[in-house]
Amino acid sequence: MQAGLENALSELVLGPAVDAGNVGQLLSKHALDAGERAAFEADLERWLVYRKLVRNTLRNAMALAIPRTMARLGPLFDEYFERFLAEQGPRTHYLRDVTTELLDFCAPLWRTDPRVSPWSHDLARHEALEIIIASLGEPVVPHALGALDAERGLAFIEAARVVRYDFAVHRLPAGEADRSEPAREAVALFAYRDGEHDVRYLELSPLAAALVERLLAGESLKNALVSACAATGNEPAQALGGAATLLSDLATRGALLGQAAREDLRKPPKTSDDSGTLREKGHP
Amino acid sequence: MTTARRTLPPGVGLGLRWEFLEEVLDGPPLDIAFFEVSPENYMRRGGYYPAALERIRGRYPLVTHGLTLSLGAHHPPDAAYLAELRAEVERLDSPWHSDHLAFTSAGSRAFHELFPLPFTRDTAARVADRLEALAETLGRPVAVENITYYALPGPRELSEGDFLHELFERTKAGLLFDVNNVYVNAANHGFDAAQELERFPLDRVVEVHVAGHTRTASGMLLDTHGAPVIEPVLALLARALERTGPVPVLLERDNDVPPLGELLSELRTVRAVCERAWQTPSTREDARAERAGAHASGA
Repeated sequence: MQAGLENALSELVLGPAVDAGNVGQLLSKHALDAGERAAFEADLERWLVYRKLVRNTLRNAMALAIPRTMARLGPLFDEYFERFLAEQGPRTHYLRDVTTELLDFCAPLWRTDPRVSPWSHDLARHEALEIIIASLGEPVVPHALGALDAERGLAFIEAARVVRYDFAVHRLPAGEADRSEPAREAVALFAYRDGEHDVRYLELSPLAAALVERLLAGESLKNALVSACAATGNEPAQALGGAATLLSDLATRGALLGQAAREDLRKPPKTSDDSGTLREKGHP
Repeated sequence: MTTARRTLPPGVGLGLRWEFLEEVLDGPPLDIAFFEVSPENYMRRGGYYPAALERIRGRYPLVTHGLTLSLGAHHPPDAAYLAELRAEVERLDSPWHSDHLAFTSAGSRAFHELFPLPFTRDTAARVADRLEALAETLGRPVAVENITYYALPGPRELSEGDFLHELFERTKAGLLFDVNNVYVNAANHGFDAAQELERFPLDRVVEVHVAGHTRTASGMLLDTHGAPVIEPVLALLARALERTGPVPVLLERDNDVPPLGELLSELRTVRAVCERAWQTPSTREDARAERAGAHASGA
């Protein structure tokens, strides 16, 4: 009967609100014997304590990860938090990962809900990124980048990602009380953890973002540069200098380790026809 | 099969909290017997916290105490998770690993909360099998902690004490005995904590937990680990320790964590209780004889 017990408790704790009037209907859906059912009904108020405990634990974890998003969404966050619990629920052993599960659940729903600001998901992702990057991989020591073989790929620290947003949420003030709105602007950030374990963000130009994304995916330096230029409408010969400066800077910051082994190279992805120009402002 | 053994020094340890991690790292050596850590907080992650824990490991004994194994659930623990847990417990060189006598999941859903198990023989058999398998998988002894239960699923087939005896007859795992949980359960369900304690298999205790709790407006006690340990719980601790003899004792504080200095002061209070109890002539054999008599008579 353990499975029936678990399913009943799961619905009682994570599902829609329960009271003495509807608990019988809930319990009737699950494989419980008469004694178990009677125990739930007799002690309903105490079982509902667990409902509060579970919600408090999960909400506290999310408040650490995405406090500004929660403050801005207010009751809307509560509504989606409840939907997440009822329709999916946490799956991970790791409390710090529950926020990511919630955001993955909410992403398609928020896109079609006119009550949710179009930048909310970008802001939440950006806030949650801090804990994700802080938790990845091992620290490294900043170093100078030596000569590179264009036929080989590059190795980055594990705690390095390129993230893209449709809004400049990373420029919003840090305070939870702030209600200013981010500019609608396609943004690419290089997020990494430095040797002091602090999470850093660099705003990348479209070309720089395309290049680093391809390098992170395992392409050789040559292929990455050629396909990034093709994707952003740049000439490889003209982009070489900027790329060298970018890679040297990433190595100095400890995010780029150096040349990857030849066997690490992966098949390069297709290039796109996106056009654009190298924006030097993008790279720090 | 691995048997839980006492490889931590008898003495009072502290649950390691990130709130005072830097003080522990940067400050002078502390008079703390050991630190207990939840491996879930360090598994599958790099960065500051695992690095800090590695430094602390060089200065203090560590023991791991998990939260999410869901030992009593219908489905057995996830094999991939167990492999990660084994790696972490090995990395920290924990003398044993403990988790809770509870279920924390339903199928693929994780509650991140401890739910009580039915006190039945079937449940005892299932948990005992899981504990044996866990010890095998982790390659070291394991222990299980009695939890706070605000309600119980279904009619009681066994008392908690008899359930634990049933369980420990089937496994070589140790008992992580949480004194505050017995106190909270006694208060919430209207029985005598001291009498209940006598029904526990205290001869299997490898570690003891002690913590504070809070009282709700309705008078119910919640095991929050968010307040200092109260005097009646310390008295219950003393009573338990007179029966177990010297074992590692952990002061838990997980919410409203005060400055480290305050916790160390409370830790000294707990230590004084422990030392007095351990100087008391042992009543362990008497307790075992009484328990054996009670079981023989079907009580």
